[in-house]
Amino acid sequence: MTCYRFPQTLFGLCLLLFLITTPLHGTENQTDQECFESRDGMSQVKVEEISPGLVNVKCSSTTGGVLWWGDPFAGTIPMGDMDIEADYSTEEAVVKPREPELDKNKMLTICSMACHDGNYVPIPHSKSPRRLKMHLDTVPDALNLKHGKGNIWCLDCHHLVERTKLIDNFGYSISFNQPQKLCGKCHGQVYRSWRDGLHGKRIGMWDKGGKKRWWVCTECHNPHDVEQEERNSGFAQLRPEPAPNLPKGMDNANHERMHHGPHSGGNAHE
Amino acid sequence: MPKQDSSKTKDNKLTSRRDFLRSAGNYTVASLSGAAMLLSDPKPAKANVTWEEHFQKNYRLMTDEEKQQAIERLETRYTEEYGKPVTVDGSPSMEGVLFGYALNIQKCIGCRRCVKACVAENNQSRGDEQQIEWIRVLRMEKGKFSEADRDQHGYPESFGVQVGGNAYKPAGVVLEGQHYYEPDQVPEKDAFYFPMQCMQCEKPPCVKVCPVRTTYRDPDGIVVIDYNWCIGCRMCIGACPYWARRFNWGEPNLPKEEMNPVTHYLGNRPRMKGVVEKCSFCVQRTRKGRWTACVEVCPVGARKFGNLLDPNSEIRKVLAKKKVFRLRADLNTYPKFFYYMD
Repeated sequence: MTCYRFPQTLFGLCLLLFLITTPLHGTENQTDQECFESRDGMSQVKVEEISPGLVNVKCSSTTGGVLWWGDPFAGTIPMGDMDIEADYSTEEAVVKPREPELDKNKMLTICSMACHDGNYVPIPHSKSPRRLKMHLDTVPDALNLKHGKGNIWCLDCHHLVERTKLIDNFGYSISFNQPQKLCGKCHGQVYRSWRDGLHGKRIGMWDKGGKKRWWVCTECHNPHDVEQEERNSGFAQLRPEPAPNLPKGMDNANHERMHHGPHSGGNAHE
Repeated sequence: MPKQDSSKTKDNKLTSRRDFLRSAGNYTVASLSGAAMLLSDPKPAKANVTWEEHFQKNYRLMTDEEKQQAIERLETRYTEEYGKPVTVDGSPSMEGVLFGYALNIQKCIGCRRCVKACVAENNQSRGDEQQIEWIRVLRMEKGKFSEADRDQHGYPESFGVQVGGNAYKPAGVVLEGQHYYEPDQVPEKDAFYFPMQCMQCEKPPCVKVCPVRTTYRDPDGIVVIDYNWCIGCRMCIGACPYWARRFNWGEPNLPKEEMNPVTHYLGNRPRMKGVVEKCSFCVQRTRKGRWTACVEVCPVGARKFGNLLDPNSEIRKVLAKKKVFRLRADLNTYPKFFYYMD
């Protein structure tokens, strides 16, 4: 309302509001649009033109998920050293760095520098899981850690004095970009399967020796909630893409939901 | 989805051999010089398929030179039609490669991203009028077989004995596959999902029945189609036991801005009215070493693709380590598309 009354002063503000509140996924392939690769909210990517007429990703107009990679290696870095030989040792292997995504508000850096340096806040000696007394608003899933059936806690995975790093079994730090080194500590079987190219996904070139982008654990799994309550599944539910059009002349798909046979009486499902 | 304006030129467009021959015949009757008549036709040049294109040979039988010419003709025409540089690739099958595909039905969550990725990559017709999708995802109800079922309904009345359901009361899975499921979130608790696409059979029934041999199997295992030579008889659609083939009943609707300009002659180049199309394992990508669009997009990594002849490929590892089956193996089509479970 006020927009109409004070057009000169508030027009700009209203325009801004309009732009902000307009849904992101309104039109397809608009540059500056943001969509997600695998985990909504934790694997964001901006649509950009990488060469004339070619975008880095095409996004779904309904779910905001990435549907198509123009360049599967855009924004990637080398995977880095791995302990055991696999495809990534003989081929060019890259990963999308997780650090910019996880530390986008520079919180981890600040925590590490300001307080959790091992002196100002002492390193806790007890490793038994317990309810946090502070930072419930800043630590993700602080009251709802669903990992390890209640047997592990923060510092089993996060480094004691470097909050921007993860930790291995010997106290050495692991980069957030290589979470597989951490997750493999317990999930050895899955880790081996991932190394073989069976678990998880890789994109890029299928052929032997071809460049591949490997997807690391936390791109698809939420490490703080891998159990997901009674679903007991590591992968969060997604909104599906729209169903195909119904054949012309068909109003609904009720025929698909019929139970057949004399005992069912042709009852619709649900 | 923006409506495209190709309808303006639709009426003037000669796009299938059948249409062409029909109208060429009319012209011949009228003027006894079909060719001259056609060349002097005042149609917009961009909508015209050239004389050479209509009378080119079956792609399979062309010499390399003829193939090159056919490709150049198409590149020129598509570039003009879609207003951006379009490449048409003609890469032959790769030496020492037999493509294989594996899909983990235990992992699939039914999100249909593969379906839409395929459409974005392969230039299918889209929109309300004619929507073509090469992949279908069926939602299957998880089987419930309780002791009560076994005792009460497992035995048909007076029809002999059969434990575990029968034709009249299947006690296990009770619903047919659903195409049109649309829940807010997938996967649903009581369902699993079963994607189907072209299985690239070793003995493809579609190839057997094609009267003009425009669909054939290349040595790397991909069953391809030369759209120009397709007469639209749809015999292959009837023969395919996997519901893999789609027909362009009308003029395909492919908006210029959504068109993928990297194409292959036998794969995702724009199709015309009256021809059959299907999954080609993204031939324009895979023959260049790149993974298919559906493999890349699968958010759960349920789709695996590689060279069956390479013992170290991930597809061979799947075949060696997982529980694998092929759909309708009883038909002896020898699909190169495998389903597996962990």
